[in-house]
Amino acid sequence: MTILLILSRALHMSTPLILGSIAEVYSEKTGVMNIAIEGVFLVGAWGGFIGAYTYESILVGFIFAFLCGIIIGLIYGLITIKFKQHQIVTGVALNFLLAGLTVYLFRVVFGIRTSPARISTLSRIIIPGLSRIPIIGPILFTQNIMTYLVLLFVPLAYWVLFKTRVGLIIRSTGSNPEAVEAAGISVEKVRYSTIIVTSGITAVAGSFYVLGFLGMFTQDIIGGRGWIAFAICFLGNWHPIGALFGALAFGLADGLSVYFQTAGIQVIPNEFLIAIPYIFTIVATIARRRFNVPAYLGVPYVKEQN
Amino acid sequence: MNNLVNMLFDKLGKGYINILTTLLSIFLGLFVSGLLMLLLGHDPIESYMLIIEFAFLDSYNIANIFTKAAPLILTALAFGFAFQAKLFNIGGQGQFYIGTMAAVFVALFMENVPMLLALLLPLLASIVAGGAWASLIGYFKARFNANEFLISMMSTYVAIAIMDYLLRVPLQEAKGEYPQTDVIPQVAQMPKLIANTPLHYGFLISLAAALIAYIILWHTRLGFHIRAVGQNRDAARFAGIDQKKIFVIVFMICGIFAGLAGFMQVTGVQYRAIQGFQPNIGAAGIGVAILGHANPFGIVIASILFSTIEVGGLMLTQTSTLPSSIIYVMQGLVVIFVVISYFVRSKILTAKQKRELARGEEA
Repeated sequence: MTILLILSRALHMSTPLILGSIAEVYSEKTGVMNIAIEGVFLVGAWGGFIGAYTYESILVGFIFAFLCGIIIGLIYGLITIKFKQHQIVTGVALNFLLAGLTVYLFRVVFGIRTSPARISTLSRIIIPGLSRIPIIGPILFTQNIMTYLVLLFVPLAYWVLFKTRVGLIIRSTGSNPEAVEAAGISVEKVRYSTIIVTSGITAVAGSFYVLGFLGMFTQDIIGGRGWIAFAICFLGNWHPIGALFGALAFGLADGLSVYFQTAGIQVIPNEFLIAIPYIFTIVATIARRRFNVPAYLGVPYVKEQN
Repeated sequence: MNNLVNMLFDKLGKGYINILTTLLSIFLGLFVSGLLMLLLGHDPIESYMLIIEFAFLDSYNIANIFTKAAPLILTALAFGFAFQAKLFNIGGQGQFYIGTMAAVFVALFMENVPMLLALLLPLLASIVAGGAWASLIGYFKARFNANEFLISMMSTYVAIAIMDYLLRVPLQEAKGEYPQTDVIPQVAQMPKLIANTPLHYGFLISLAAALIAYIILWHTRLGFHIRAVGQNRDAARFAGIDQKKIFVIVFMICGIFAGLAGFMQVTGVQYRAIQGFQPNIGAAGIGVAILGHANPFGIVIASILFSTIEVGGLMLTQTSTLPSSIIYVMQGLVVIFVVISYFVRSKILTAKQKRELARGEEA
């Protein structure tokens, strides 16, 4: 029984990581690393809370988060794609700014409060029948709506990326931009539109921590989880299915550490349980021999001048 | 008008254009922050006057600016030095914590030893620990071609976990109340540079570190190799430079800088290690390094600017309804505009070069 609870929680906790890392896969496939991912997660949580609180609707929260993400995608795209500035420098600078800006603007919107503003989070939807299936049922079919949608999103993301023309263009933009340009498609446009849409999706992923989990906004609500999604994109070898399994592994580590903490079981110090996902990332980054790195990842595209 | 601007740029050297565009981006960052202050009904001009007034209110506050700049210079060097080799060290925060824990661990034992030794041993400990910790990142990069950006990022979270554990169990204060160590013995506490102010000798260490970084980078063979690796990896390899060695050495030096910052916060400011203290020093260091164009002297000036905003800003937010997050908004906006100014600068320099070429052809 306990194991089922841990696994169910693992799936719950991996939901935003699945969504965020697949969004990162898409933008990196076009050659643009979204280094601002940690900040976009935070902006999503911020916008999600404000939308949901103001309009008393979680759906509005998601829409707000998406719009906020798009704005950051526009800025990040402008500096890295149009201005051709270094992606890591730009992303790190944006994260630094957004950490302060979200907190400041939260204060602008809500003023000084004696108790933190709260919203009720997404409720679990227990699917009749299916949830009775032994083992799988309690894990898979007792989640909230976002987890269901994200699980449906994974095969869709796979299909679009590998079986459609749009996916082909996206993949070619990161692996062979000259060919894309020769086919009469603007590399900058592909990169720009991809980073804008994926930033919106990434922000929705970030909003999950408010709307599906905590019910309030705090400045450290993301606390490095954006970076985890960034790492999962690497570990999943730039593939949506790989990202799914990577995210599930991190969700499991999260679920286990919470279980050990609440159950008061002390196998190894809690701090090391918390560190496991990060150590795991380092080990996996080192251990992997072959990577499907998009050939032009992080390289601004400069058109040949005739 | 356009011609006039062009003529001005033609007269100016590259260095002046750098300074001009950076000053302009600082102004724009503060200008936009001012607009944001209006959202909370604060007059930006009045607020900035107060920030300056508070920052330079008395010798205590002025000294505090340099006290805050001291560790910032070091974490900025930890990013900027690696950047000269086009390596990305995002793990300054973790290296800072590792240096902190090493320094406090040794400092706690410093009873009945001469002061020089009581300070020197923790300093060495922080250098060794920070350097070893970060050189692992360089080693992973060199040996496995691992992504140093990702690994340095993740290493910070591991360092935080190590620090949390050490402060919860083996090194926790005797009272056992908070996750922090006991106060280090008096003899291991760094003396003040100016009496009755917070300014300690660590600021001189930071200045020396910036000078050493400059000398290494521009006046030694090693520095030449580091910059060569930064400019063109392939060319550097063909020239026979051992890149792998450079990766490890660069990260080791970065770790030493960040570790030293930990040493001076323990022995110069807090006199103990506290869980999660200075949680933004790594990120702020990266911002400072960007603002200072990854140049050691630029970093010193940028650190002092950041600290001035912080000292004046903190006092302003304590005496008004403006929240302290405005400080990070100001710093963040300045940094973003500096990144954009890199683009503007390269446009200006290209245009300038084109005009020079055109004139050359006419002559």
